[in-house]
Order: sequence, then structure tokens, then C-alpha cells
Amino acid sequence: MSQYTETSGGFLSRIKFSRELVLLGVLIAIVIVMSLLSPVFLTLGNFLNTSRYFVEIGLISLGMTLIIITSGIDLSVGSNMALVSVVVGFSFLGGVPLPLAIVLGVVAGLAAGVFNGLFVTMLDLHPLVVTLGTFALFRGLAYGFSDADAVSSFPAWFAYFGQAYFGPVPGQLIVFVVAVVAVWLLLSRTRFGRYVYAIGHNEEAARFSGVPVQRVKLALYAGTGLLVGLASVIYVSRVSTARGDAGLGLELDVIAAVVLGGASIYGGKGSIAGTVLGVLIIATLRNGLLLAGVPSTWQLFLLGVLLLVAVFLNEFFRREEG
Amino acid sequence: MEKQDTETAHDAANRTPGDAMSRSEETHSGREGTWIFRLSSVTKRFGGVVAVREVDFDLLEGEVHALVGENGAGKSTLMKMVDGVHTPDEGSLEVGREAVSFSSPREAEAAGIAMIPQELDLFPELSVAENLFVGRKRPRTRWGGIDWETMREEARRSLGSMGVGLDVNAPVKQLSTANQQIVAIARALLGEARAVIMDEPTASLTEREAEKLFEIIADLTAGGVGVVYISHRLEEVFRVADRITVMRDGSHVKTAPASDLDSDELVRLMVGREMKEQLFSRSRREAGDVALEACGLTRRGEFENVYLIVRRGEVVGLAGLIGAGRTELAQTVFGLRKVDAGEIRINGEGVKGLSPQRAMEKGVFYVPEERKSQGLISPFSISGNITLSILDRICRMGFVKRGRERETAEKFAGSLSIRGAGMDDPVSMLSGGNQQKVVLAKSLAREPSILLLDEPTRGVDVGAKSEIYRLINDLAEEGKAVLLISSELEEILSMSDRVLVMREGRMSGEFERDEATQEKVMAAAAGVKAGQAPGNEAEVREERE
Amino acid sequence: MSGVSTTRVEKRSDGLLRRSMARPEAPALIFLLALVIVLSVVADGFLGTSNFEGILAQVVVIGIIALAVNQVVLSGEIDISTGSMLGLCAMAAGTVAVAGGGLFFTLLAGVVVGAISGAVNGFLVTVARIPAIIVTLGMLYALRGVLLLVTGGDWVTGLPAETRVLGIGSAFGVSLPIIILFALFIVMELVNRHSDWGRNVLAVGGNRRASVLAGLPVGWARFWAFVLVGVAVGIASVIYIGRAGSVQTNAGTGLELQVIAAVVIGGTSISGGRGSTLAALTGAVLIGVILNGMVLLGIPGVWQDAVLGALILLAVSTDVLRRKLLGDKA
Repeated sequence: MSQYTETSGGFLSRIKFSRELVLLGVLIAIVIVMSLLSPVFLTLGNFLNTSRYFVEIGLISLGMTLIIITSGIDLSVGSNMALVSVVVGFSFLGGVPLPLAIVLGVVAGLAAGVFNGLFVTMLDLHPLVVTLGTFALFRGLAYGFSDADAVSSFPAWFAYFGQAYFGPVPGQLIVFVVAVVAVWLLLSRTRFGRYVYAIGHNEEAARFSGVPVQRVKLALYAGTGLLVGLASVIYVSRVSTARGDAGLGLELDVIAAVVLGGASIYGGKGSIAGTVLGVLIIATLRNGLLLAGVPSTWQLFLLGVLLLVAVFLNEFFRREEG
Repeated sequence: MEKQDTETAHDAANRTPGDAMSRSEETHSGREGTWIFRLSSVTKRFGGVVAVREVDFDLLEGEVHALVGENGAGKSTLMKMVDGVHTPDEGSLEVGREAVSFSSPREAEAAGIAMIPQELDLFPELSVAENLFVGRKRPRTRWGGIDWETMREEARRSLGSMGVGLDVNAPVKQLSTANQQIVAIARALLGEARAVIMDEPTASLTEREAEKLFEIIADLTAGGVGVVYISHRLEEVFRVADRITVMRDGSHVKTAPASDLDSDELVRLMVGREMKEQLFSRSRREAGDVALEACGLTRRGEFENVYLIVRRGEVVGLAGLIGAGRTELAQTVFGLRKVDAGEIRINGEGVKGLSPQRAMEKGVFYVPEERKSQGLISPFSISGNITLSILDRICRMGFVKRGRERETAEKFAGSLSIRGAGMDDPVSMLSGGNQQKVVLAKSLAREPSILLLDEPTRGVDVGAKSEIYRLINDLAEEGKAVLLISSELEEILSMSDRVLVMREGRMSGEFERDEATQEKVMAAAAGVKAGQAPGNEAEVREERE
Repeated sequence: MSGVSTTRVEKRSDGLLRRSMARPEAPALIFLLALVIVLSVVADGFLGTSNFEGILAQVVVIGIIALAVNQVVLSGEIDISTGSMLGLCAMAAGTVAVAGGGLFFTLLAGVVVGAISGAVNGFLVTVARIPAIIVTLGMLYALRGVLLLVTGGDWVTGLPAETRVLGIGSAFGVSLPIIILFALFIVMELVNRHSDWGRNVLAVGGNRRASVLAGLPVGWARFWAFVLVGVAVGIASVIYIGRAGSVQTNAGTGLELQVIAAVVIGGTSISGGRGSTLAALTGAVLIGVILNGMVLLGIPGVWQDAVLGALILLAVSTDVLRRKLLGDKA
């Protein structure tokens, strides 16, 4: 990674580098353990199914990474997902052709992100509070519009929406890889990315240097909203149901993945490579546990603990770097 | 044991520490009297860097002992060892003839040593009275609750003994900086401090408020309290101090009664080389067209109806006391703050809806007051900082062109002689003076035609200062329009072609270079009625057209 | 010590009206008043002791927890784990109750489990130095997971009457939970105004750096705030199970949001150092009134969360706007 992601060069860049190696090692270890726990784990079918799930988290995590680098946070992604699902499902139910309903959903996700962004930038409110409010608002709107009901009567082709194959590779993976490369380039090679790191380290100085802070932040929240929109469509197609309690607990997965990947909750640090590894670890963990018959309640517990451990380790090593 | 304080011609950045040493006889100089605390041969290291090297320092009862030195000389670190923030790696601290070791400021306070840092460390939402009692035993009522009434009484008494009457119920955030400082001092006194360490106490004070502070200090010392006075402002130091200690590069250079020294020698001791001239002598030049014009500019609560012009090739000094609105004005011109009324004209063209980006496009750039919190991104490299404002120019399709970035950064770093680290090293590794140069390089990279400099030499060592003055002179020579905001009158007077003065949000004076004197500028800044500064506002407006 | 000349007198602080308006809970109180007036006109059945009692009864659980979370927020932190904590405490208390432990041990069980959970939160925030939002987010899920693991998904039912008294009993004609709420309010107000810990919490939240330098026990101040939340949740859980008569595995879901909303809407600043006990109480009552109003006006319950979210946004926005209007220099 570039100099902008470290506090100083030399020895420390080696530590950072090995962080990604450590994550890779953890991932491999998990894969080994899981394949021992369940014979189904290492099958292609399972991989495809998992990949849809991790694409969903992964897309959103890309956006969340940038937000966390600017020392912001977005707690509303799960609720946003519910809103998008409901918009897709219920407009379809109301007679809108499915392709259009999908577009409406994605736009809804974007709009929600813009909503967040406006409150954070125009009103100068802390993202924690704003997204806590929208966490409730979006979920509430989802429940409200759907009247706590669900839509499952989607045409058959929709279930394979994300699964169109390009050769042997499932479509959604391609989408994800493209997104990863795009965001990685954005963060590490463009001036937008430079702005993001600058804001994360010292927002006031960034502003004084002519960095368009408000616009960048708005773009981050809007962009994340857009990513949520995309991810939600994939989600709805995967479970073939649109309901108001979609994405419950999603923010936990996403934030855990980003933090696991090395982003500092205090801002200024984070990388796409780390986030991707974090997402892989969490998705693999979840999938493996599911296959091994571990109830989802355990998963929640483990994820909560994982998040705590990840943040602790992050900050512990950061303090060593001093 | 050598005593080195003058001739060696060290470059400002290539100082070799450890040359300057001086021992007990010099330090604990002639003056009889009991000392309150004494540091003996203390050394402090941070990582591999020696911040303070074998320094002796003591404070006598009832004296004001000034501690001067450039940035990075180790003054703050030295005092932090007395205050319990740091512990000496070597050497000892004695308080009242007993060797002590403090592990927190709280312990130091208990031993009678109080420090008043620049940031004041008060609690804005809590009342004045409560602020005085934070961290100490509060008066209690019979049933065990906090006795607020007694607390208020004691607060009033304590402030009253300093000749100040404040509403002790008011939250501290509502007080002016000067009064907040008084609250901080009262806090120290309530803790029965025998030694009070003040770090740059007049940095945010008006001259009148500083006078008040000197009175309070005089009172303190009359009562036997010792005061350590850390300051960059040498005129003040001579006004207030009984003894002066000079530090340089972490070492002790000299301690002497103030009457035995003068400012030239002081500067010499601080810098370690001959300074032919203290400040700068500007080259004179014809000023060109009007580059920047403010017409009736107003921001509610900050400044009102301000008219000023800056021409190409001229340096306009903007003097005034803190709170006059100068920084707010400059930031407004740069688009950081919104205009409530009035107009800004750049190169003759009126501009509306300014933002920093638009201002930069129009050729304006602002160099902020606080370089650490406003001017630099500390973990970024030197090159990253320098190019932060011109990324749009070294990018193609949004992608940063590394080659051009390197080129540009090196060019401007070179032109300012930035020393102390490599281009890719984090800017936090540099000294204050060099950091300031990075901020300036960043502004120059933008190639602005109008520069707004806000206290560009604050906290900068004397060597770097003169380099910055030379830079400003060169900028004017090149035809740039420079607005120089400074609180150092000498600086303003020697650098400016014209001096403008603001007072409490309004223009209160304008002087050509030849007619400006410290007294006139001060009078306009302080609003002295008698004789000196008649109807300046009217004068200024007449000048307009 | 005199001989000092000019006395600088600070402008006499603003008059009583301005000072009252500047109090943190002022806007919430005014809004509450206005809302009560509007609802009594517009909604049938609003004005009536049984309705008021109903509101307060609903609000008691939120209110008690909000009083404690208020301290956490004042100290500059946040706690969004209270919903799962309530579920866990309720489960513990309920289990003891059903096993014949009697009221005392039921209450003890709830409080102990709560205190331990709070202590874990506090420890992770102060010692492990993990930001509170992450800690309590993680705990929100971890605790719920523990709850489900321990119960295996089973409910606790059949609480004996004597253990339910805190939830459904009454004394001097007033419902017991309401008495407990007001008693705790008075206790918290006293602690806030007259205890060293209470004042330290405000100092720590207001200026962390200065607190450290002044030698205040910054870690302990925050730690005990989190423990206090646990204790409050424990007490609230006994009231909760008393009212419900049984404990479901999803008990307390969504509560954390209502509690934070109460604190924030009532006027305590999310950034710490500014707020009051009255703000938390007002906020809780306000939420109760709003939810009650929604029911009376026939707004379907599915919109509850949306209204809550909108209120939070409204509350924090007006706090920012108000500060700008009042021209606080801070």
C-alpha cells in the first residue's frame, strides 16, 4: 500500500504487510477446519451459494471501508437493505415490471445513502447519530410499506439473477471483482482516495487545504447506499423473498469485516485488500458454521465476539506502532 | 566543561546538540533566597531522541523566572518533568529540599506546583465555580451532598483576591479567553500552589489583558509564589522576568538576571550564531493593480463593514489584538466562512459563493494559524502535504501522476530549503520551522496570486523566521499580493508596505509604511481615545474612493 | 493580596428566561407540552388517568434504563446493548422466580447478571480501549446469542405472583413501577448533583484531556457508568417480567434504540458533557406519549420504528441548530 496508509515507513510497513498475510493464514485455517466439520463444505455448489452471500457483504463493505477511513460509520446499511428489498418486492407486486422494480430498488438504496450523507454534511451531525436514526427510520419505512408482509412470488428467472454464468464463473463474482478493483483503484491511485485518507487523518487541515470535504463525504454515503442497493437485489434474488426484516444484523457483519481487515475505527487507516480478506473470513465462517449445523444463534454470538477481538487487536498493535 | 554560547556558525538545521553546557554556578546564580524546586542535571529521552540533556533549573520564591528558547529547545519538556507529566530519565527533581518523583500532574499539584498550559484545560460546560474545584475535595453539606453555595463563595473570594469579578455560575464556555485564563490561574491558586508555570500565557491575550496578567503575576510573586514564564515574546520577558534561562537543543545555555541581558544577546544565545539584523529589511517596489478588494464585508459577530485592498507586489500587514476578527476575515476571503453582507472582488471581479476550491481557482490561498491542526496532515509525507492542494493539477482523469507529484513537491521543497527529512518521510518528523515551510510550500505550489498569511512565523525558530521573511519579500517582488496577519508588531512594521489595523471587528486604522509606528498601530488596535487615534474609520473610508 | 487595579467584570450572565431556555431539557419539555396539548384535542381518549397510567407503565422500563444510559452518554460514551441485556436479565430473573426464589432473589439475579454485563462493557471500553459503539454493538449480538444458547429457544413461563409485584403491584393507589421510576429519578438526580462520581462523569464527558490532567479517575468514572446501566437494566427486567408474566427469547429486542432515542430526544448531547437526568426522563415520557398518540390516532404499529428514527434525527438536528442560534462559543 502507499505511504498514505501508514504512520511511518520501514519496519512498520512490514508489519502491515504481514497483517494481510496473517488474515490469509486465518482464512486458510478456517477453510481447513470447516471442511473437516462438514463434507459439503468444499463443494462447488456450496462455494457458489457462499459466494452470493459474500458478494452481498463484500459490496457493502467496500463502501463502509471508505466511510470508516474518514472516521465515520454507517449503522443503517442493514435497514437500508430491508428498504430496498421491500421497494423491489412491493413495487413488483403492485404491477411494476420486475426489471424496473429492480432499478427502483437500487435508486432507493442510493437515495437512502444520499439522505444519510446530507444529514452528515449539511447539518454537520455525527454519522453515528445520523445512522442510528436512519437505522430505525429505514427499517421502519420498510416495515411500514410492507405492512410487515412479504413478497415471494417472483418469476423463476429472478432466482438466477445473480447466477448468470460467464464461462465457468458466476456473474455476481465478476461484479464483485470489478467492484473491488474499481474501489481499490479509487482509494489508492486517485486524488479522491487521497482526499479520503486526508479527511480521515485531519479533517480540518483537509478543508483548509481546499479538499472538498463535504462533497467527498456525501459521495461516500451515497456510494455506500448504491452498493447496498446492488447487494440487496442480489440478496432478494438469492432468498427469493422480499420482506421488511431483511438485513437484520448486517451492519455487524460489514463493520466486523472492515475492522478485521485492518481499518481503524478512529479513521485514517484501512485498505481494500484487508477488507476483502475480512469479508472472506466472515463469510466462510458463517457458511462453515451453518453447514456444520451450528445454530444461527451461535453465529451471532461468535460474530459479536469476533468483532470485539478484531478491534482490540487492531488498536493494540496500533499502539505498539505508537 | 565548556561554555558554548556564541560564535560557532551552525546552520539552523545542523545544530549539534551537546555543545552547550553550563553548570551549577551559572544556574543557581548569585541570588540568595530559598528555592521552591530544583532540577539537577535532568535528562529526558523519547525513543532515541534526547529532548533534554543534563539541564539544571531552579525557581526561587517570589521570583519570575523566564524560560526562553526556540521551538524544540526543550522548554516544555523540561517543565513537564516538574509537573509530573514526564519523569526524568536521569537527574533529580527536588521540591523544598526533598527529592521527589511525580507520576502525575495531580501529585505535582499536591506538592504545590501548578502548570497552566496554552490549552487551559478547563471544562466548558461546567460553571466557573465548579471548574475551580474539579479534582479536589469539594465542600460538603451536613447531609453529605455538595455544598454549592460554599463553593461559589470560595470561588468569588479567590477571583476577588485577583481583583476580578466574574459570574461564578456561568459556564466557562461563555467567558473570553482572558477570563478563562484567569479562572485557570485561580484554580492553581486554590490548590495553594507555590510555583506556577505559565506556558505562552499571552498568546491569546490583548495587550490590556496581558497587562492585567502581569499585575496578577506581580501580586503572586509579592506573596512568595514563584512563576516560571515560558514565552517567545522577548519584550514581555524583559518586562516581567527577574531571571532568564536560555535553552537550546535540549541543553542549558545560560541563566542570568534579566538586568544582565539584552534582547540581542538573548537572541544570540537562543540561536547560537550572530544575527546581524533581527528582522527583515524589505526591498521597495511600486505596487501594481488592485488584486484583492473587500467592500463592506460583514460577518455577524465577527467583523463588520470591512474595506480593504491589497495590490500586486505589496505586502499589507493586518494588525490587531486577538478577537479583532483578522483570522475570521482572511478565512472568509478564502471561502472557509460565509459572507453575510458585502462583497469580495478578486482582480476586479466580484465573487459570490466562495468556497476554498473556488478561492484557489481564483488565485487566492490561505496559510492558517495553527499548522498542526489546520495546516498539515501529520502522517502524510512531505510530498503528500505539499501536493494536497494541487492534486487536480497533477492528476489525469482523477488518477494521481506520481512522476509529476514528485517533481512538483521537490521543486517547492527545494525553493524553501526544507530540511530534516526525506520527501517520503512523514511530515511529523520535521521541526516546527520546517513544518511551517511545508505549509508554505503547499500554498506556493498552487501558484496563487493572492496570499493570505496568518501568523506565518508563530512558534518558528529565529533561523527559519528570517527565511520566511525573505520568502515574503520575494513573493512581493514577483508581483504577488500578500496580506500578512501577525501579532508581532515589529514583524508587521518591518515587513509591510501598508499597515491596516482592526479592532473588535472593524477597521480602525491605516498607515503607510513611513508613518506607522508601534504606538500608532497599538492605539488603533486598542481603541485608545485620547489624542492618538482620531476617527480612523472615517479616514479609512475616505481613502476608499 | 491587593494593589491590583482594574476589575474586569464579565457581562452579567443572561436573565432567567434565557438561562432556562438554555437548559438541555428545555426544547424537549416544550415539545412534550405542545404535544400533550395537541393530542388532547385531536386524539380521543388521550386525556384520562387510565391512559396516562398506561403511558407511564409502558415508559417505565425505557425510563429506568434511560436514566442510567444517560450517565454513559454524559461521560462521552454510548451503549446500544441494553436490549439484549434486558432479555438476558429477564431470563435470569424469570428462571429464579419460577424456581421459587421469591422476589428478593429474583431481583438479585436480574441485577447481578446486569451488573456483570455492564462490567464487561465497561472493561472492554476502559481497559481494552475499544470504542464503545463497537463494544456495545458486539455485545448486543453476543448477549442475545448467550440468551438463546442458554434457553435453547425456550420461553420462561409461569412466574409466581409474588415475584411479579414490581411489575403489576401498586402502593398508595399508584402503580409500583411508576413509583420506582420516580424514586430512581430522584436518586439519579441526587447522584448527578451531589456525588463526586456524578460531577466527574460530566467533567470527563466535557473535556477528557483536562480530566486526565486534573487527575480525575477517567477510566473508573466511565466504567461505573456502564455497570450502572447493567444494574438499571436488572431492575427494569424484574418490572418487565412482572408485567409480562413470562419471558420470551426475543424479550427486549429493539429496546436499545428506544432508550438512546429517549436520552437524545430529551436533550442530552450525544457528544458528552452536557445534559441532565430530567432530559432522560422527559425523553422517555415523550416517546411514550408519541407511541401512545400513534395508537390513539390509528397509525399502524408497523410505523413505530420509522417514527422513532425520524424523532432521533429531529432531536439531534434541532440540538445543532439551537446551539448555533444561541451562539454557544463551545
